Amino acid sequence: MSEIIYMCLTALSFYLLIMSRTGEARTVWQVLHPAFIPVLFVATFFLLAIMFSSEKTTNKMLFIIVYSIFIHSFFPIVFPAGDNSGQQMILGQIRRVFDNTIIHGLSGWPSQSLQIFLVEMFDGINLQAALSVIFARMLNVDIFYVHLFFVPVLWGVFIPIASFLTTKTLGGGEKASVLSSLLVSAFPYATYFGAISVPNSLGFIFFFYSLCFMLKYLASNDSKTAYLMVAFSLFSFLSHYLTGIMSFSFIFLAVVFKAYESEKRSPCVIPRASLIVSFFLCLSLLPMSFIYLRFVGSITPVFTIAKFQELPAEEIAGLLLVGELIYGFDLQTMLLVVIGPALGLLWMICLLYKLEKKPTAKFSTPILFLFAAFMVVLIDYRVLKLLMEGLPLNEERLWVFRDFIAVPFVALAICSAVSSVNKFLKARHPSAMFLTRLRNLSKRNVLYVLALLLTLNVLIPTVLAGWVTYSLRAAYPRIAPLQTTWYELEAVRHIEENTEEKYVVIGDVWTIFAGEVIVGIKNPRAYYFGEFNKTGYDLFLNMTQDPSPQWMLHAMNYTDTTTAYFIITEPRVGTEEYNRIVTEAGTRLPIYDVFGEGKLHIFYYTK
Amino acid sequence: MTTYKRVNQFTKVENRIVANRRCVFTAVSYLAVAILSVNTAFVRSVILGATASLIFFVINALFLAHALFRKEDDFFRLMFGVLLLIMLLGFVGWLIMIVYNLDALRFTLTLVIVASLSSSANIRTKYKNAT
Repeated sequence: MSEIIYMCLTALSFYLLIMSRTGEARTVWQVLHPAFIPVLFVATFFLLAIMFSSEKTTNKMLFIIVYSIFIHSFFPIVFPAGDNSGQQMILGQIRRVFDNTIIHGLSGWPSQSLQIFLVEMFDGINLQAALSVIFARMLNVDIFYVHLFFVPVLWGVFIPIASFLTTKTLGGGEKASVLSSLLVSAFPYATYFGAISVPNSLGFIFFFYSLCFMLKYLASNDSKTAYLMVAFSLFSFLSHYLTGIMSFSFIFLAVVFKAYESEKRSPCVIPRASLIVSFFLCLSLLPMSFIYLRFVGSITPVFTIAKFQELPAEEIAGLLLVGELIYGFDLQTMLLVVIGPALGLLWMICLLYKLEKKPTAKFSTPILFLFAAFMVVLIDYRVLKLLMEGLPLNEERLWVFRDFIAVPFVALAICSAVSSVNKFLKARHPSAMFLTRLRNLSKRNVLYVLALLLTLNVLIPTVLAGWVTYSLRAAYPRIAPLQTTWYELEAVRHIEENTEEKYVVIGDVWTIFAGEVIVGIKNPRAYYFGEFNKTGYDLFLNMTQDPSPQWMLHAMNYTDTTTAYFIITEPRVGTEEYNRIVTEAGTRLPIYDVFGEGKLHIFYYTK
Repeated sequence: MTTYKRVNQFTKVENRIVANRRCVFTAVSYLAVAILSVNTAFVRSVILGATASLIFFVINALFLAHALFRKEDDFFRLMFGVLLLIMLLGFVGWLIMIVYNLDALRFTLTLVIVASLSSSANIRTKYKNAT
C-alpha cells in the first residue's frame, strides 16, 4: 500500500514540478508550485516507511533512485536552459565536439606547447564531452538535452548505490545501508553538485566509487578490488583533477592502512609512526598539487598568511569553524549544511571509542581509515581557505567529499538509535509488541509505550522526511541572477534558423550563455564570443554607448563573418538604459526582430 | 511470488546472455551498433536510437558485470555493469576524440571497440571458469 501511495505522490510531485516550469525566473523557489514541497515531504515520508518495511532491497533501491533523479532535476525541469552557471559554459564547449568544429579534444592541437596540450588533454571537460556526445549520438537527440540531464540522472542512479555499498562495507545492516542511500540527498552541497552538469560532478561520482572500493580493499585481499579502486580513481582524475587528487591521496592512505593492519600487533613503533607520517603526506597532496599548477597554466596559487594579518580574529575563528557559511548565510542554511557532517563525525568518534575497547573488531580499520580521510578533508579545507590564495576553484567543493564520508555514519547512527528504542521497548514491555495486550499495563505505562511507538513509527520518519525535504532549501540557491529566459533562447534560435551566411553576435554575457547552449561557443559559422573574451565584452560596451555599424563591422572583420547581430535585453540592462539603447540603435541600424513582448531587441548589419 | 518469478526471469535472461552461445549476443550487440550508426547518419529516429542503445547497454553491461562482479547481487551486478560500460565508453571515446574527433564514423568505431572489449572480457571469464 505504501508503495502505491509513494508512487502516486512522486508522480504528483513530478506533475507539480512540470507545472512550475517557467521561461523567466531567478530561482526555482520563485516559481515552485505552493503544493510541491508539502507533497514531496509526504512522498519522502512514505519512502521512509517503505525503507523501514520488509520490502525487497532491490525495490527499495529502485524507489530511492527514482526519488534521487527527481530531486536532482529541478534545474533542467524548471528552467528552459538549466541553471545559469558553469554548466552552460561547459555545454558551449562540448557542442564544438558534437558539431565536429574542433579536433584533438577541447584542448585543441596545436596548443601553446606539448606540455600544455598534455595537461589540457586530462582536463575533465574532455571526458564529459566524449560521454555526452556518445549518448547524444546513440539516442539521436540534441546535445542540449543530454547535457542538462546527464549528471542529474547519473548522480541519481549511482550515488545512492555507492552510499548503500559504502555503508554495507562498514558493517551496516540492510536498513542502515538503504537509509544512507536516501540520506545522501539530505546534504545540500552534494545535492547541488548532483543537479548541475559539470565535470566536477562527474568526478564526485567516480570518487565515491573509488572510496567504496578502498573500503572493500581494506576488508579483502582480492586483487580485482585493488584494480577497480585504481580504475575508479583514474576516472575520477579524468573527470576533474580535484576529485582525482583526492582519490589518489586516499588510495595512498588506504594502502598505508592496509600495511598497518598486518603489522599493528607488533610491538615496534614503526607501523604507527609511518601511519602518522603518511597521514600528513596525504594531507599535503591537495594543497601542493595547486602549487604545481603554476608550472602548467596561467593561475598562480600561493601559500600566504595574509588572511591572518588582514582579517579580524572573530572572522578567522568563524572561517575555521564553519568556513564560508559565516558570510551572509542564514542560520537555517548553516544548520542544514553542518548538521549532517557533525552527526557523522560524532558517530565516527563514538564508534572509534567503542573499537578502542575491541581493537580486533572486523570493521575497525575501515572506520579508522574513513575517520582519517574525514580529517584530511576538514584540515585541507581550512588550509585552502586560510593559507592559500589564487586557487582556481572555491574551497567549498571539498564539502562534497566530507558529506560522502559522513553519510554512512549518519545512517548508522540513526539506525542504531532506532534499534536501541526498539530493544528497550521489547525488553521493558514485551507486551507492547501486541497492541491488544496493552490493556494489561497500567495507564502510565500505556502512555509510555505509546509514546515510544509514536517516536519509532511517526516521529523519526517525520523528522527524517522533513530533513531531506528541507535540505533542498539550502541545496538550490535562493539568490541568483535572472536565468536564461525563453525569449533569449528564442532569439538565438531564430537567428540560427534564419541566417544562411556566417554571422557574429554581439551581446552581454547572458546572451552569450544562451548562444552557448544553442550553437556553442566560438562556432566559426555562428560566432559568439566567450564569456571571458575581452574583445567581445568591449564590443558590447561600445555598442551600448554608441550603437553604430562601425562596431559591427569591426566584429565581422575580427571573426571573418558577413553578418553581425546586436542583442539587447531589458531585464539585463534596466528599463531606462534599454530604452535609450533601443532608441539610439533604431536610428542607425535596422531592427531584425523583437522578442519577449518587447523585452529583447535584435539589430543587424551586413557587409 | 510475482517478484520471485520476475527475478528468476531476469536471472534466466542474464544467464542466456552471458553464456553467449555461438557468440549470438555479441552479434546482436554488433547489430545494435550498426543500427545506431545508420540511425545517426540517415534515419535520425529517437525511438530507434533508444531501442538499439537499450539492447547495446543490456548486453554489454551484463558481459562486463559477469566478467568482474559475479559475486554481487543481481541488481548491484547489473548496475556495476552499466557503470563500467559508461566508463569504458567514456574512456574509448575520450581517446578517439584526443586522437582526432568524435564524428559519426569515429562514434561507430568507439561502439565497436567497446562491444568487442566487453564481449572478449565475458568470453575470457567464461573459459577461465570452464577450466
